[in-house]
Amino acid sequence: MSSQNTSREEDLVNRLKARFPEAVKGSKVEGKRRITITFDKDKLLDIATYLRDELGFDHVKGVAGVDEPTHKIIKVFYFAGSLSKHEIEDVILVLETSLDRTKPVIASSVSVWPSAHFHERETFEMYGVNFEGHPDLRKLLTLDNWDGPPPMLKDLKFPEMGQR
Amino acid sequence: MTTPEPPKPSPSVTITEGKEPSTLDVSVGPQHPGSGHVRLLIRVDGDYIVSVDPDIGYVHRGCEKIAEYRTAVSNIPHLERPCIIDAIHLNWGYVLPIQELQGVVVPPRGLYISTIAAEMNRIMNHLYWVAINAGVFSGHTTIFMYAFGDRDLFIELAEMLTGARLTYSFLPPGGPRRDLPSEFQKRLTDLLDYFERRLVEYDRIFFSNPLVVARAKGIGVLKREEAIRLGVTGPVLRGSGVKYDIRKVEPYGAYPDLEFDIPTFEEGDSYARFMVRFEEMKQSIRIIRQALQKIPKGPIARKAPLIIPEGEAVGRVESSRGELTYFVMGDNSDKPSRVKIMNGSFRSLIAMPYLLRNIHIADMPIVYGSLDYWPVEADR
Repeated sequence: MSSQNTSREEDLVNRLKARFPEAVKGSKVEGKRRITITFDKDKLLDIATYLRDELGFDHVKGVAGVDEPTHKIIKVFYFAGSLSKHEIEDVILVLETSLDRTKPVIASSVSVWPSAHFHERETFEMYGVNFEGHPDLRKLLTLDNWDGPPPMLKDLKFPEMGQR
Repeated sequence: MTTPEPPKPSPSVTITEGKEPSTLDVSVGPQHPGSGHVRLLIRVDGDYIVSVDPDIGYVHRGCEKIAEYRTAVSNIPHLERPCIIDAIHLNWGYVLPIQELQGVVVPPRGLYISTIAAEMNRIMNHLYWVAINAGVFSGHTTIFMYAFGDRDLFIELAEMLTGARLTYSFLPPGGPRRDLPSEFQKRLTDLLDYFERRLVEYDRIFFSNPLVVARAKGIGVLKREEAIRLGVTGPVLRGSGVKYDIRKVEPYGAYPDLEFDIPTFEEGDSYARFMVRFEEMKQSIRIIRQALQKIPKGPIARKAPLIIPEGEAVGRVESSRGELTYFVMGDNSDKPSRVKIMNGSFRSLIAMPYLLRNIHIADMPIVYGSLDYWPVEADR
């Protein structure tokens, strides 16, 4: 799959960049097997569909939110991998995008990757990220009577745990 | 995926009015079915389950939030609590990305000791599963007694090695805390010889038992394509015929030096998932025997800095419930700024609405047990 001069990981990045020259904003290849792609949040579904159908990334291992109050953003990470394509089964492709902290909204990837279902529900609950088009966006882990802010946001502190 | 429409949460039994007068909404749980509190909201039509909505979170304790308040090393004891019977793997997976950020390389002897501890942990975990999730759930109390008795022998050796029966905190960044004690190698070899003979009996009284076969075979079938699409992992995935194991895919520890097979079964039913774990115990015996023979001399650990350098890293191990991925962000302080845990239990949650559908209520414990779902690990 990879040509002579570029590694397999760089090859994957180049294919993605060639297909989405504007949506892919940055890329990072960390050693073997790890690729991070920063992308425009509006193009999530297009990129996810391309990754699944053309490159073989058939599932997500998880969806993680990261709160960065100093930059006023919430980052969302998708960890995609492949179970069916032997050549790239050891690669974890991390899709990273930034959302507005006051109103975090992004399209739901469940229509492309059903495996993201519960991970997106968890990120919705923990970070308040609204995944538009998710079939069943409900609270998952916290108590029914929890009415505070999304608990993983950095400005929600628990003094009994020792504040940073 | 279309998740079933959520049944009303209470009271515990409601008769659905209107279109489907024949269905009942039943709340199963939140009791402790052997591994932690979980509630399954099921809709039944007579004796058949129409749909399932897993309602989790009863044992959520905010591990990821707590991890942002504690230092890299003091995170280890509480991050292995979500699945205490699989503590070495939960510990190891967390330490890998931190070591990567710090640039710390564990010496070969340390890797071998970690591998031996991890495979002992896998056997202990699968014995717990045989006892509770397979044995008790299918009403087979004899195998429960057998497996729990044998598990304790491994626990005693784990205590000899690490100082604790279950929650070891054995692998801080840099390598294991202790070297193999004297007599340990001989005692472990003896135990493996004994346990290999016991596995023959396990097969006779449980895995080849016509009653168990009749109850588990053909029940809760997860086809290969569905397993990939839903992104399940570990024995559930390998029971559906996908040969995917992090120990081979992305070898870590001493696994590159050791010979072992990845048991896979094509059927995708509950019995296939039973047999994957049974065969995995045999492979673990094989791995430990080789590791004990090949273990090199030398230092066991290197000194690791207390600071986590700035950056992001993803590390993963093959835990007893499949791929366990940790995403760690550092910011040049002694505390991680984000720890994300992606574990096998949470990933197999999505298979429940698929597998616990169109089956008898009586088959529910078998299918649920075959997933080896550990609620505390999923809730974190």
